[in-house]
Amino acid sequence: MAEIILENLAHAYAPGAPYALKPLHMTWRNGGTYALLGPSGCGKSTMLNIISGLLCPSEGRVLFDGQDVTALDTGKRNIAQVFQVPVIYKSMTVGENLGFPLVCRGASPQKIKARVETVAERLGLTQWLKRPANALTADMKQLVSLGRGLVREDVAAILLDEPLTVIDPQLKFDLRRILKEINEEFRVTMVLVTHDQTEALTFAEEIVVMNHGEVVQMGSPTELFERPATEHVGWFIGSPAMNFLPAVRDSDRIVVPGTALSVTVPAALPDGELKIGFRPEHATLAPSGGDLEGTVGRIWFEGMDEVVGIDQGAHRVKVRVSGTSPARMGATVAVSVPGDRLCVFVDGKRLPSD
Amino acid sequence: MRTLYLALKYLAVLLWSAFVIFPFLWMISTSFKTANAVTGGAKWLPWLQFEPSLSGWQSLFGGVGGINILKPYANSAIVTLSGSAIALVLGTLAAYGLSRFTFKAGPLKNGDITFFFISQRIMPPIVLAIPFFLMLRFLGLLDTLPGLILIYVAMLMPIAVWVMVDFFNSVPRGLDEMAWMDGCTPVTTFLRVILPNALPGLVVAAMFCLIFGWNDFFFAFTMTFTEVQLLPVSIVALNSSVTPWWSLSAAAIVSVAPLAVLAFVVERFLSRGGLAGAVR
Repeated sequence: MAEIILENLAHAYAPGAPYALKPLHMTWRNGGTYALLGPSGCGKSTMLNIISGLLCPSEGRVLFDGQDVTALDTGKRNIAQVFQVPVIYKSMTVGENLGFPLVCRGASPQKIKARVETVAERLGLTQWLKRPANALTADMKQLVSLGRGLVREDVAAILLDEPLTVIDPQLKFDLRRILKEINEEFRVTMVLVTHDQTEALTFAEEIVVMNHGEVVQMGSPTELFERPATEHVGWFIGSPAMNFLPAVRDSDRIVVPGTALSVTVPAALPDGELKIGFRPEHATLAPSGGDLEGTVGRIWFEGMDEVVGIDQGAHRVKVRVSGTSPARMGATVAVSVPGDRLCVFVDGKRLPSD
Repeated sequence: MRTLYLALKYLAVLLWSAFVIFPFLWMISTSFKTANAVTGGAKWLPWLQFEPSLSGWQSLFGGVGGINILKPYANSAIVTLSGSAIALVLGTLAAYGLSRFTFKAGPLKNGDITFFFISQRIMPPIVLAIPFFLMLRFLGLLDTLPGLILIYVAMLMPIAVWVMVDFFNSVPRGLDEMAWMDGCTPVTTFLRVILPNALPGLVVAAMFCLIFGWNDFFFAFTMTFTEVQLLPVSIVALNSSVTPWWSLSAAAIVSVAPLAVLAFVVERFLSRGGLAGAVR
């Protein structure tokens, strides 16, 4: 268990090549749960490989509990990782698989046996201990991978590299719950890499949103939802995505033309393309009045809720209504949004609302 | 319908077995015949159709006009086993390196290096005879067991590298990474994690090596004169103006036996559940 500090870390795969991971600095608390969220190729796996030591960063340092491990071999870092595709030692039994990290570290047979039994019991693998690991299903193989991390009491962190991708949906739900419980029980620092926002939001206390090799925002699920740092985060987090409408400056207000949506111009307004964004969850429907009017173009379900797509000029605004909405296709409806829920974006970046 | 299918299947297998076993039966019966029994038409049943004789077998063990097969047999075993073992160890290590690490020798990369190994086997062996001969003469190893072992290592290593690179490539790289995280060094990763996963490949490569080494006549013939003789060469020495079919058959049985046993053992080994699952 360790606190992990990434100090001015950056990586380019060749000297002079563009950054695969742009310079960043962050601290991961001991025992915390973190998620790296972003589309494929955004630098998540690069970051994970740097932490596990499979990759040496071209700039900056990695610190485990204040100790510089940047140049340390993977084997000496005491890291565990669960890969996207289940990886297990096929030539060993489940029990041998679980005990292998301790065998490599020269622990005594009694100690290994005790630890393996404890971990197997926790993960529900006890009856499988003597079976060949190859005979397990994909989700159980992932449990074995996880177990190889837990078997070391002093493991610095468990890195989960999209571990649920190949798992059936129902089992995915179970595994996610187990991961969460394990974290609460063992207080191991866990880092989950995923491109699935639901997975990130349900698992992690803090989410690091990445895009194009850059950390766009790091914060709690609520922060990301309520105050997305960029248009990308607003679009990536939340289902359906945030609404964005082009806006213009009109003396001391920023307004969306043709609507009553407006925000006071803050003290310092940089030049750039203006947009006003709001969450579909924060908007409400009304038969008339409201901040903007449009015709209902589409209605679809999200769980218990209904999402109404309203065409306003060339734009579609989504409003999330709990239960069934009275809106009918083709009808004209009004949408109102509380002023404090409006976010202003300049060239894709949110203006801090003071 | 199902029984018919089964019956047909067994019939086909039976026919094929007969086809395969027949030459062996022929060989065994011939080895107990004399000149008259061999040339005087088809005769199958010993004592009834022909009088069995041990002269064919006697000529293998220092009988009149024969050879002593024990020395060449031991030589062949030593050369084949040590040549294969060295080739397998070196070849497996080379293959793991080529499969896992990036090498660059000028414009040559991993694939080219692998091809270089295999390319040694593209030429017909006769092309290599003169260079090998000169090299062994330079080293003073002509007509010696170590000289033959060296040549077999050179001939067998490409096979080992070729087979093992493929097998190592099929073992996911994630397995190496996981082993590192579990605290393995590169050496223990290779020995304890990757090699057990590539065991079927190792068995296949060993089979190839042993069969080639045991059967080779060409190098055994060209690189030796009087001191060292290998089994295939000594069997040829049995031949004379009147072909001694009985001694040749006995010699053939003796020389095929180890490979037949090997094939049987390996077949058992490879078809065992755990290992069969390891070949993907």
